[in-house]
Amino acid sequence: MAETAIEPPALRPLPLLEGKQDDGTLNKSLNAYVWQPPQRGWLTLLLIGLAGTGMLFAAITITIAKGIGTWGNNIPVAWAFGIINFVWWIGIGHAGTLISAILLLFQQKWRTSINRFAEAMTLFAVMQAALFPVLHTGRPWFAVYWLFPYPSTNSIWPQFKSPLMWDVFAVSTYFITSLLFWYLGLIPDLASLRDSSTSRRARVAYGIFALGWRGSARHWHHYKIAYLLLAGLATPLVLSVHTIVSWDFALSILPGWHTTIFPPYFVAGAVFSGFAMVLTLIIPARRFMGLKHVVTARHLESMAKVMLTTGLVVDYGYLMEHFIAWYSGNPYEMHVFFFTRPRGPYAWAYYLQMFCNVVVPQMFWTKWARRNIGALWVGAVLINVGMWFERFNIIVTSLHQDFIPSNWAMYYPTWVDLTLLTGTICFFGTLFLLFLKFLPAVAVSEVKELNHELHTSHPGMSELEGARP
Amino acid sequence: MKRFVLGEFTEPAACVEAARKLREGGVPGLDAYSPYPLHGIDEALALPRSKVPLVAITGGVLGALGGYTLQWWMNAVDWPINVGNRPPHGFWTNIPITFESGVLISVLSIFFSSIFYFFNLPRPYHPVFESERFRTASLDACWISAETGDEQEVPELERKFREAGARKVHTVVESA
Repeated sequence: MAETAIEPPALRPLPLLEGKQDDGTLNKSLNAYVWQPPQRGWLTLLLIGLAGTGMLFAAITITIAKGIGTWGNNIPVAWAFGIINFVWWIGIGHAGTLISAILLLFQQKWRTSINRFAEAMTLFAVMQAALFPVLHTGRPWFAVYWLFPYPSTNSIWPQFKSPLMWDVFAVSTYFITSLLFWYLGLIPDLASLRDSSTSRRARVAYGIFALGWRGSARHWHHYKIAYLLLAGLATPLVLSVHTIVSWDFALSILPGWHTTIFPPYFVAGAVFSGFAMVLTLIIPARRFMGLKHVVTARHLESMAKVMLTTGLVVDYGYLMEHFIAWYSGNPYEMHVFFFTRPRGPYAWAYYLQMFCNVVVPQMFWTKWARRNIGALWVGAVLINVGMWFERFNIIVTSLHQDFIPSNWAMYYPTWVDLTLLTGTICFFGTLFLLFLKFLPAVAVSEVKELNHELHTSHPGMSELEGARP
Repeated sequence: MKRFVLGEFTEPAACVEAARKLREGGVPGLDAYSPYPLHGIDEALALPRSKVPLVAITGGVLGALGGYTLQWWMNAVDWPINVGNRPPHGFWTNIPITFESGVLISVLSIFFSSIFYFFNLPRPYHPVFESERFRTASLDACWISAETGDEQEVPELERKFREAGARKVHTVVESA
């Protein structure tokens, strides 16, 4: 205690939970948004989201009815928006698993207020991601025969030596695991919504999904272990998913794709963009939903630090790609990294990527940028944009000038491509808005436990614990 | 007909202490309820080790074996496809899906065994819900319950609960 007394205030960690809280006040403030009538802002955003979702389904209908000729894909750029958007959305999802599982294993207390939010983001992002490869097959109704080992009358099986097949298994396992992990975490909170409901309708609705949870010690006993084991399994899983996504590229021989740095570089990029998306969403949400006391400046600052760290790993990936291209002496590799990307027709996309992913995150070295809400939000949005363009450069720029100059062609997206991209953003937003309104956006039970821990542990202990970044 | 004596406690630590005392005092069919897991309640109620890890490892091993066998049988036995003269049975190329299926089956076994077997849910009705006050168990209070089939025992149990420091004591009867 004496030590903390002489500690300069600048070194004192920001609080994880602001103000004096107990179970009752947390219950009330964290569930308040569910019980209050919908705000005008929420309704407006929902309408925009629904309109965009309508556009998405229109674009999907056109794609299916007329075929993927309505997309801008061509030869040599056979993989374009479909795969860019797929990788972008999957990457965004990874921050959710990182926060909910990896930070749980590392006992980082700041994960508790944001894990539910980030897990929901994961689920909805993976849903958007899964749309693209399925549509890209051209005949999605056949996709189930091609992708899953289903005993069809063709009596032929999927080719398991292809990384694309590994991807199917990785992404579907990832979606199922994220969904079950999220739901297991939700059960106690659904029970608390059931028990704090004032109308019979709400009580029955939340009651059904709470499955009759009564918080029995005999259940918690198994629950704690089940939750920890799911986190333990989700941790290698999330690393495997983006590793496998990167193999979709790295196992081909195309210059710009065929490199061993891809798995770690893709995983870091995924976490980088995912944290940027969490910040993009949570900064407005904490303000309009009255969650500033549980999602404090401390949480935002920690997320900024993770972005900076993973951003540096991504930058190292960029550096290595260029170095190996030069060091290999391979003319095709050098052409991609030293001509096509920096001086080719898509050079603007390359410099945009470098600005957003290399220059912008460097501002998070300063405490000012990490604690300034505006700077943080703008930085996060730019990183989202930058990470989209990174995938654009990897895919389109590498493909459009391949081995034979007579084969070269430019790629331009069509309006269907652009509608699919914006449509998934709207669909994602719609699902997210519904989640914020109908489910507790913060893991109420876990925050109560954290609050209890912070207050009852050894005096000074919570201060020390809190000092860990 | 089963009867449940319920006691409400405000402080988590007091609740754990009361559970220990009641168990040591020979009260049968004890359980505790709280909005989040209570520290030390497992020891207080002398709960046996959870079997969830056993389920997880069994599911994981079976899933991985199944995933490997699936790929081997489909690509090397049932319908071998010659791609660039690579061997039909590729050990290393089977590893990613083996890992994924191990994780998948392990996750499914953990989740479904927890819900249906360890928690014995879904169970929308439970006698403890007969008490309207019991709502606080998921909000801001801890409860302890003792289960008995004998009506004569109830007053004695209620007295023990009060002695252990319960703020409120209710007895509920399982509805027919």
